[in-house]
Amino acid sequence: MAGTIAEEATVDLPLPERTPIPSGDHSVWADVSPLLDAACQDLQDGMLIHGDNFNLFAAMSALEIMDPKMDSGIVCKYYSVDEAIEDGAAPVPISSDRTVDVQCTIDIMDHLLACEATWHKGHSLAQTVFSCIYLLRPDRTSSHALLHSYCRVVRATCKTVVSVVSDARTHEEEDLFTMSYGLALHGDGDDKCLSMLNAVEETVNRQLRACKAPSLKRRVLEDFVPLQNNLELEEGYCKALLCRLRFRKHFYHVLTCMKRPQGRGLELARKHIASCISELECILNSSEFLRSRTVGTHEGSIEDKTTASGCQPIGFDASLNCRLSAPTPPRSIKILSWKKAIEYFMKLLHDLDVICSCPLDLSLESVLHFVAEFQKSLPDLVARAHLQRLLVEDGKLYGRDPVFGVITRAAAVPDATRIHDVQKHESIVHLGQLVINLLKILCTNSAWQRRKLGKILQDWRVVYIQLEMAFRKESGENTNFSNDENVCRNVVQHILVWVEEQTYWIASRFLILGFELELYSHSEFCMVYWYIYVVLIKILEKKSLKMAVSNDSGKRRGKKKRDSVKDVARDIRIPPAILFLQCQICLAEGLTTMLAALRNEHMMVQSPSPFNTEHERFIQHFELLQKACIPDQSSYPLFKDSTIQTRLSNLVRYDHFKDAQKIVKEVKSSFSNNPEKSAELRRLEQVAEHNSIALNIISRAAALDPSLKVSFEFNHHPYFATAVVKRS
Amino acid sequence: MESSEELIEYVSYDGEDHLPLIMGLVDKELSEPYSIFTYRYFVYLWPQLCFLAFHGGKCVGTVVCKMGEHRNTYRGYIAMLVVIDSYRGRGIATQLVTRSIQVMMESGCEEVTLEAEVTNKGALALYGRLGFIRAKRLFRYYLNGVDAFRLKLLFPRPHSGLIDFNTHPLSMS
Repeated sequence: MAGTIAEEATVDLPLPERTPIPSGDHSVWADVSPLLDAACQDLQDGMLIHGDNFNLFAAMSALEIMDPKMDSGIVCKYYSVDEAIEDGAAPVPISSDRTVDVQCTIDIMDHLLACEATWHKGHSLAQTVFSCIYLLRPDRTSSHALLHSYCRVVRATCKTVVSVVSDARTHEEEDLFTMSYGLALHGDGDDKCLSMLNAVEETVNRQLRACKAPSLKRRVLEDFVPLQNNLELEEGYCKALLCRLRFRKHFYHVLTCMKRPQGRGLELARKHIASCISELECILNSSEFLRSRTVGTHEGSIEDKTTASGCQPIGFDASLNCRLSAPTPPRSIKILSWKKAIEYFMKLLHDLDVICSCPLDLSLESVLHFVAEFQKSLPDLVARAHLQRLLVEDGKLYGRDPVFGVITRAAAVPDATRIHDVQKHESIVHLGQLVINLLKILCTNSAWQRRKLGKILQDWRVVYIQLEMAFRKESGENTNFSNDENVCRNVVQHILVWVEEQTYWIASRFLILGFELELYSHSEFCMVYWYIYVVLIKILEKKSLKMAVSNDSGKRRGKKKRDSVKDVARDIRIPPAILFLQCQICLAEGLTTMLAALRNEHMMVQSPSPFNTEHERFIQHFELLQKACIPDQSSYPLFKDSTIQTRLSNLVRYDHFKDAQKIVKEVKSSFSNNPEKSAELRRLEQVAEHNSIALNIISRAAALDPSLKVSFEFNHHPYFATAVVKRS
Repeated sequence: MESSEELIEYVSYDGEDHLPLIMGLVDKELSEPYSIFTYRYFVYLWPQLCFLAFHGGKCVGTVVCKMGEHRNTYRGYIAMLVVIDSYRGRGIATQLVTRSIQVMMESGCEEVTLEAEVTNKGALALYGRLGFIRAKRLFRYYLNGVDAFRLKLLFPRPHSGLIDFNTHPLSMS
């Protein structure tokens, strides 16, 4: 760096004065402003004072003191939690007027819920839930049963959620989520929080019953104390409190049930989820009463408020924890509104319900499909972490099924040969780890997921080669194969085919996710669909091979009877899964050729880039696939050769979209019991139909009408585009 | 359009006097502030990659970049690109960026990269026209929760440098 080290400053200055800031054990504060002033006089423009260890990284991480955007040491109001408490920022009780106390308690509960939702959505605990002073000093609230039990449950809930997300350990965005250093997340007796909550709930319930009972009865209960002193409001406040307490109780139950190993608590969790949802609805309904109770005008729209009543809650200060929040100075964050928080929890509960309804006996293929479907509803981190925890526990599927068994079932290895020494082989163990890792990756957010899927392609390729080499060597050394060795070769042969199919499936998912993430510009669609086409062809090849190898094994066992005509017919008929794939292949091919033709006939103009060509962009998009040779020899020259001759006139003659429509008609009935597959077929049909029509219009009218413009939209399917023809 | 472009003067970073102009433009645009050290880091080490656009005597746009070795690739990085609001839509940003990329290419960079908010349609269109692809999506990259795209431009390599995939060790036989 130019102009760096200043000369040794020899300036006479008075000793720095001690400031009123109290000294710590290892620190003494002194005012150095005069020294800095003197240094500034001495430095030329562009000069920098730095010590030997002030390197470039340090320069980039530097912050400007007193800039509130960068300097977390800037004190907003209080130096510490204790000072805030001394100043009365979190009184206990909140008010001597019991009605006000109840109202304020409800506000605190609502704001905590909003904070919790904000935390889930990707902010730090310190700035959200633990901005609550009552939570930071758990012992202070012991005289206030409502607040104390509620805070306990919130702390216990947060602790449970942190542990589930930590266990997932995918190192995506949860790094910020799980940071709880210096926060009172583990309170004494928090595990007994439910019994405390139940006691409080029971009390409020009695208070509710009492206020609804005729006055005679009420007088009889001598030691009875109502919730607050305004009889007209008792019912409203009791009800408002009860649904909030009950929601917390049921939500805590949901989390503990779902935490039980091997999915044992899922059914019970679903019951609690249903209760949560109903209590949330009551909470929403309570806002009318609570808003009517508050004195004074409401500033701003109710939509932004973090409480049902619209009032600011007492006892929260996000700046108190700013030094604990994050490595970099935290920016102020906006807590979600109360309404949005409830929406978030509703969605979370629905997502958790889907997870709880996951059958625990699915094949691997069905599990992968289940996860892909689940991800379509865009679940947040907490829901996804719970799914991962259910599927992968102790290195086993559902915490119960060893991976080798999962693989052999997926590879359609015949029953008798499943238990075998093969499973101890190094490559097989490695393959097992890849399967577990794949399941975890599929539970992450799609942006992170796609990056990881791209990276693991090479691992899957390598394991295939290792397996092939290892077992080829073993079987190649003997010419007389023992029965055991035959069985071993058979198992590995099945597994190898399956590994290839799975590798191409990962590649297809990698390519398809690019559409969801909006990574492709329209000018790149042609090459992307081409690559998807090429990969789908490979999947078809491997799937068919897997079925053929299965049938062969069956024949060899002699169990398959081929006497009846029906059996022969069934063998000849193409399996529905294959037809389904063929339909997708037709669409991919159709789109590739249509896009190529449009470009070749100058109907889709792309101005050339000044710095590179389509070749470079091809290399970049498919780099990870090319490195792993998936598929082999799918190079840019091959893509160009396949598409350079394509003309619209060819396409009308060989209409791939019409082929797709034919296949859909043929295969529809086979999937009539499967609502997801049926819905997908309908979508594919729509794409095929619209594209076929568009193709017709373009090929007939384009030459005559140069004002026709073709664009591609995803209105019928998330990754197969539909051509839209318009006059410009 | 053309006449106003003729009025725009593009200048290479010339020294300390340009620094406050750059800081002024960039600070106004960004929600995440940079310390002065960050600016100095870029313009002192790579002044040849930093350009300013002037209209009359007024600085209306700037681009700040770096380049260096990153995981066995010599790559350029576009750190900041700003054009003041009233001067947008005239291709000034394209002119600035093109100059930087040209220098990167001539300096031996293999690729250029940057991040842009997924909502920044203008930037995405600009870089797309220059040959950048959207290589990755970064979830909640910015502190306001918005995702980012990592944009990458790959310069053409000499043909002999390309890997022959037919004899690649991982090739299926």
